Amino acid sequence: MTNLAKAKTYKSEVKPIWCPGCGDFAVLSALTKAFAFLDLAQQDLAVISGIGCSSRLPAYLSSYGFHGIHGRALPIASGLKLARPELTVIASGGDGDGFSIGGNHFLHACRRNLDITYIVMDNEVYGMTKGQASPTTQPDWASSKLTPHGTGVRPFQPAAIALASGASFIARGFSGDPNGMTKLIIAAIQHPGFSFIQVLSPCPTFRPEQKLWKHQVEPFPHEPTDDPVKAATHLYTDDGMSSGLIFQSNYPVWSQPDVAEASIKQFEEEFIV
Amino acid sequence: MIKPESIEDLETFLALAYLLEIESSDRYSELADNMKVHNDPEVEKLFRKLSEYSGKHASEIIEHAEGMVLPNVASWDFEWQSPEGPETTAFDFIEYQITPERVLELALHNEIRGHEFYANIAKKSPSPEIRKLAAEFSDEESEHVKLLEQWIAEMAQNKASTRDDLDPPNMPE
Repeated sequence: MTNLAKAKTYKSEVKPIWCPGCGDFAVLSALTKAFAFLDLAQQDLAVISGIGCSSRLPAYLSSYGFHGIHGRALPIASGLKLARPELTVIASGGDGDGFSIGGNHFLHACRRNLDITYIVMDNEVYGMTKGQASPTTQPDWASSKLTPHGTGVRPFQPAAIALASGASFIARGFSGDPNGMTKLIIAAIQHPGFSFIQVLSPCPTFRPEQKLWKHQVEPFPHEPTDDPVKAATHLYTDDGMSSGLIFQSNYPVWSQPDVAEASIKQFEEEFIV
Repeated sequence: MIKPESIEDLETFLALAYLLEIESSDRYSELADNMKVHNDPEVEKLFRKLSEYSGKHASEIIEHAEGMVLPNVASWDFEWQSPEGPETTAFDFIEYQITPERVLELALHNEIRGHEFYANIAKKSPSPEIRKLAAEFSDEESEHVKLLEQWIAEMAQNKASTRDDLDPPNMPE
């Protein structure tokens, strides 16, 4: 079976309801191609999400999945990975879900360095609720009635914050480069530890100007590094409109001890009054 | 990374040709599904037809490769001149008000790129056998270009469709 034929087997019968032209289609396609390339068994794969357009992703896959609650993809994914370390666990969602409602979970997931992959489809807007400013929206974006003069707030910097919080794999992909994104997803899944991919994924409905991203996104202008100081310098001189692997290091991976420290009986005895 | 000038064996060439067609067919099918969800049966039908055509071409390549074992080439293994295979419609070319005319224009664009892909291999492959076959495939793509141009002209005679929406989805709340 070819990679492409195999990739299709990871898709469910549920057809995406994303708007035509949405960048999330390319992410779904890249994910299934990456799964096929890595020859992952569906029963050993779990995709966990929060709430939002991009968080519908698990429904479109034939692996195990959990469409969780807003901002909580990472706690659910972390719990699953700890309970079932043999599974390949992917968390996915959007910029509002991941950086606002789930922002605190993002910091600590980076810091813990559990072996999970987190893919954030960043369109700089809350699309499902019809177009409000998200943490990554530029301060002068004034197309929402909620923020008629823009938010005036500096946008969240996902890659720099992931680096500062201790993530061991940081990349930025672009939905307009599906093959490049597939390669990043493969590398992220193969990486032992927390791997984070911020995907620039245009919203053609509420941010139609993002259709121009395909003329603006360039390859990340630096070689990937394992030096956080260099990576920080690269990120602070970057305009955020580039894609590629930014940082990869072999920080210790956090996991549960293989042997239980106490038996259930011992725990129960502690609760007997 | 495979480049046109590095294709020396027929199996790799046919694997790439198959990949080009099947990726194109799959994408048209995905776009048809998307238009079905958005209740546009006319455009859905057109995408299904295009998917069927690309699928037929893929089957012809498999027939051509009878008795051979084709390598499992991934789309990112080849140095395409486009983000994906030359006949694969990018998701971002689509919008909810896309017209049948625009769909055919995209298909034409794909066929022109397919023609250029084969013409490039016909010029650069070190193998005379591959150069000959690539030239044949390139001619075939030229035929598809002519057919699509004809189809577009016929459609233009019948009607010019526009898709006005009095209640667009992007009115901010």
